[in-house]
Amino acid sequence: MFGMIFILTWCLVGAIRIIAQLPKEDRKRFFLSLVNPKILLKDIKDIFCDCLLHVKLWKRNKLLGYMHSSIAFGWFMLIVIGHIEVFFYAPHRAKLLYFPIFFRYFMAEDDSTMGGAFFFFLMDFFLLVVLSGIALAIIKRVHSRFFGLRRTTNPSFMDLIGLYSLWSIFPLRLFAEGFTADISGGSFLTKSLNHVFHAFLGNHMNMLPTWWAYSLALGIFFCVLPFTRYMHIPTEILLIPLRNAGVRIRHPRKGYAEAEIYSCPSCGVCIDACPMGVMKTHIKDTTVYLNRQLRRNNEARIEEISDKCLLCGKCTAVCPVGVEGDKLRIAQRSMRKYGITPDYSAIDTDSLVKEFSTGSGASSGKVLYFAGCMTALTPQIRKAVESVLTKAGISYEMMDKDGGICCGRPMLMAGRFGPAEEMIAKNTEIIRKSGASTLLLSCPICYKIFREKYDLGDIEIIHHTEYFDRLIRNGAISMRRSDEKYVYHDPCELGRGCGIYDEPRAVVSAAGQLVEAEKNHKESICCGGSLGSLTLGFEKRQSMTENSLHNLTVASPDRIVTACPLCLNTFRRYADRPVEDIAETVDRNMN
Amino acid sequence: MKENIVIIGGGIAGLEAAGQLIRLGYAPIIVEKSDRLGGHVAHWHKLFPDMTPASDVVARLSEKVSDANVFLNTEILFINRLKDSYNVMLSNGISIIARIILFTTGFRLFDASRKEEYGYGIYNQVITNKDLEHWFNTGEDDRIGMSDMNAVGFVHCVGSRDEKAGNAQCSKVCCITAVKQAIEIKQKFPEAMVYCFYMDLRMFGKKFEDFYISAQRDYGVRFIRGRVSEVSENIDGKVIVKAEDTLSGKPVKVTLDLLVLMSGMVCNPDSTRIASMIQLPADSDGFLKSKDNITDITASSKDGVFYAGACTGPKTVPETLAEARSAALEIHSYIQGLQ
Repeated sequence: MFGMIFILTWCLVGAIRIIAQLPKEDRKRFFLSLVNPKILLKDIKDIFCDCLLHVKLWKRNKLLGYMHSSIAFGWFMLIVIGHIEVFFYAPHRAKLLYFPIFFRYFMAEDDSTMGGAFFFFLMDFFLLVVLSGIALAIIKRVHSRFFGLRRTTNPSFMDLIGLYSLWSIFPLRLFAEGFTADISGGSFLTKSLNHVFHAFLGNHMNMLPTWWAYSLALGIFFCVLPFTRYMHIPTEILLIPLRNAGVRIRHPRKGYAEAEIYSCPSCGVCIDACPMGVMKTHIKDTTVYLNRQLRRNNEARIEEISDKCLLCGKCTAVCPVGVEGDKLRIAQRSMRKYGITPDYSAIDTDSLVKEFSTGSGASSGKVLYFAGCMTALTPQIRKAVESVLTKAGISYEMMDKDGGICCGRPMLMAGRFGPAEEMIAKNTEIIRKSGASTLLLSCPICYKIFREKYDLGDIEIIHHTEYFDRLIRNGAISMRRSDEKYVYHDPCELGRGCGIYDEPRAVVSAAGQLVEAEKNHKESICCGGSLGSLTLGFEKRQSMTENSLHNLTVASPDRIVTACPLCLNTFRRYADRPVEDIAETVDRNMN
Repeated sequence: MKENIVIIGGGIAGLEAAGQLIRLGYAPIIVEKSDRLGGHVAHWHKLFPDMTPASDVVARLSEKVSDANVFLNTEILFINRLKDSYNVMLSNGISIIARIILFTTGFRLFDASRKEEYGYGIYNQVITNKDLEHWFNTGEDDRIGMSDMNAVGFVHCVGSRDEKAGNAQCSKVCCITAVKQAIEIKQKFPEAMVYCFYMDLRMFGKKFEDFYISAQRDYGVRFIRGRVSEVSENIDGKVIVKAEDTLSGKPVKVTLDLLVLMSGMVCNPDSTRIASMIQLPADSDGFLKSKDNITDITASSKDGVFYAGACTGPKTVPETLAEARSAALEIHSYIQGLQ
C-alpha cells in the first residue's frame, strides 16, 4: 500500500517536473497533441504496442520479446482482470487500490458460478504467462548468450534489489493463491499446486506469512523502483506522447532528455550494437552506461563517454524504447565552455560566388557541386564525380574548387551550435546567390546537415548516390554490367542518418553483382574513422575498422563500395581488397 | 671453414656483411629476390652529403663479394628449425642447412598513393623521391618536362611520423634526402622556385646541417614549416598545394609544376613473413625486434639468427654499413663459441 502511493506520487512529481522543464513552445505542442485525436490514438497505440506487447523487441529477438511482453502484458492483464473481478463481486471495494491485489485473501467467492471459474482460469493463465517470462529472465541473467545477446548490462546494486523483488513477486503470489485455492477456489495452476504441496499449503498457519511475503516483495519493488532501471516502465509512458508530439532534445539534462534518460531500461541491446564494443575496455562507454551516469550526475564520466562516441547512431537505431544515444551525447558536449569562439562574419560571400560562377549568372538552373572538405582529401572521388557529370553531359559548377566554407556538421557534432549556425548562414547565402537549382553533395556528413539544418528553398539537395541512380534510370548514363562481386557499405550518416539505402544498391547492381554484408542497412557497422569522436585514439579505431571490414567481406566480394570519403579513407588503410567510392564504380563501368 | 651462413637480402647491408665474412674466411650465401644486387641504393643517383654516386658504392661493395655464392631472383620458401640448425628452402629448389642466418631484408618504401590527399597516382605532376632519383639516373619520366619548370615542391614525412598511415616512426633520411634533391633540382633548373614543406628538420648526421644551410644560402630553397593539407590540380595540369605556414600562422597556396613526395621507410612485409617462419617477433613499430635496442641491436631472440641494416628500423647508408660489419663480427664470435 505504501509502495503504491510512493510510486504514484513519485511518477506524478517526475512527470510534472519534466513537462515544466520543456521550453514553452514544446510544452504547448505537447498539450495540443493530447487533444488532437489522431496523435492521441497514436499515443495509445504506441504505449500499448511498446510498453505492453514490446512489438519492437519481438521484431528484433523473439525470445526477448516474449520475455518482456509476457511479464508486462501478463501483469497488466492480471491487474485488469483482478479489477474486473472486484468490480463484479465487491463493487463497493473497487475504489481501494490494494483490494484487487489481495482479492483472493479478502474474498472467499467460489467457482460454482460460471463467471467465477472463468476468471479463475484467466487469472491462473496470465500468472503462468508471467511466471514463464520470469523463468526466461532468470535464464537470461545466468546465460545471456542463449538470447542472442553477446553481452548484457552489469546491474547496479539497486537494480539487483529491484530485480530480485520483481522475480519473487510472482512465485510468491502463486504460493499465496495456492493457499486460498481450496478456500475461495482457483484454477488449473493454483489448485494443482494446492494438491501437490498439500502438507504445506493445506496448513492455514502458513497462509498469513506467505501473503505477507508476497505483499512485502511487491512493496519493496515499488519503493526501490525510482532508483532502478525499472523506472523506465512509467517514464516510457510519458516519453511516447512527448515524442509523438514532436518534442526533441533541447537541453542536455532537462525536459525531453531527462525523459529519455529515465526511459532507458538498461537492456544492453546497445552494447552489442556499439562499434566500439569490439574492445572490451569500451563496454562502459555505451549508451546504457551514459544513461546510468547521467542519472547519477557523474560529470567526469559523462564527459568522457560523450566525447568518445563515434556518433554512428546505431544505438539509436536499435534501441527498443527510442533513446537517442547520439543526440544525448551531442547535447552533453554543448555544455562545454570554449576559450575561443571563431567568427565567420567577415567572410564575403559575394566574392566566393564570383569565384566559381563563370560569366553572368551562368550557374542558374545548373547543378552546383559541393565536394566538401573530406572529399578534398580523397581527390579520386571528386575526379570520378566530375568525370561522370561531364560524360553525362551535365553542366555543373563546382562550389568549393578553390576551398569553401565547411558545412558546419563537425562543429555541430562537437556540440558547438553557435559557430555551426554561422557557417550554415554563410553557405546558404552562397548557394542562394549562385542561382543553382540542384545542390550535389559527395559527403554524407555534409548531406545530413544540408538536409536537416539548411533552408535552401526550392533548391534540391541530393547526394551523388541518389543523383547517379536517377541518371541511370532516366537513361542519361548507361552502365556495363560486369561479373564482379560488390558489397555496399552503408555509411552511418547516409544510411541511418538520412535513410538512403536503396539508391546506392540500385547503382551498384547496375555495375555488377551486389552481395550484402552480414549486418547491413540500419544495422551497418561504423568504419571506425568517424569524426564524431573527439577523443578516440588511432590504434583503438583500428580494431573497429577491422571488425567492420570483416562484417563486409563475409560474402567474399571482389570490391568494397562505399559512398563516404571518410569510410573510403578508413577502409583503404586496412582492407585486403579494393575499396572504392560509388562514383568510381560508376565512372569505370559507364559506357 | 665450412660453416654455412645464409644472408637474406642482397642490399648494401647484405653485401657489406658478406664482404666482411669472406675476409674472415667464411663462404656466405646471399639470397636476393630481385635480379640485381644493391637494394634500394642501386636505384639512387647520388648520396648525401658529399654527392657520392650511389653506383660507386654498390660497385665497391659488390666487388668484395665476387667470390660469394649469390642467388638472384630467389625467394625463401620456408625455414624449418632443426635441432641446432635451420633448413632454408629456396625457390630455385636448393635447400641449405645452416646454423647461421643473417637478416638483411631492409625496408620498403611507403606507398605514397595511400596518402590520397597528396594525389600520387591521381595527378600527373606528383612523383615520389624514388621516381625523381630514377629520373636523375635515366632521364626518363614523362611527368618531368625539361622546359617550363618554374616551381617545384617537396613534401617531407610522407608516411613517416604519421599515425593515420600506420607509421609512427621517423624515417630519418628523408629530411636530408629532400635537401639533397632540392639542391639537385636547383642545379638543373636554376630559375625554378623550390619549396620544402616540413614538420621538423632532423639534421642529425655528419655535415647534414651544413648541407641544409647551403641549400638555403647558396641555392635559395624555401623551407616552409607546416604539413600540406591537400593537393589539387588546375586546368593547366599544374598542381596546387595548400598548406599552413605554422611559423607565420598563415595559410599558403602555391602552384607547382612538380610535387615530390618524400616517401618514408616502412617495414618490409617480406622480412616479417620470413621472420614469422621461425617465430621471430616484430617490434611495436613493425620492424624486426632486436634482442636489445641499445646493446644488442644485431642479435635476434633466436640462437644463430642475426640482423643488420634497415630490417630493424630506418637507417642511413653509413649506419647500415657499420651495422653489417658489426653483425659479421658477432657471427664470427658466435661460430668461435660453437667450437
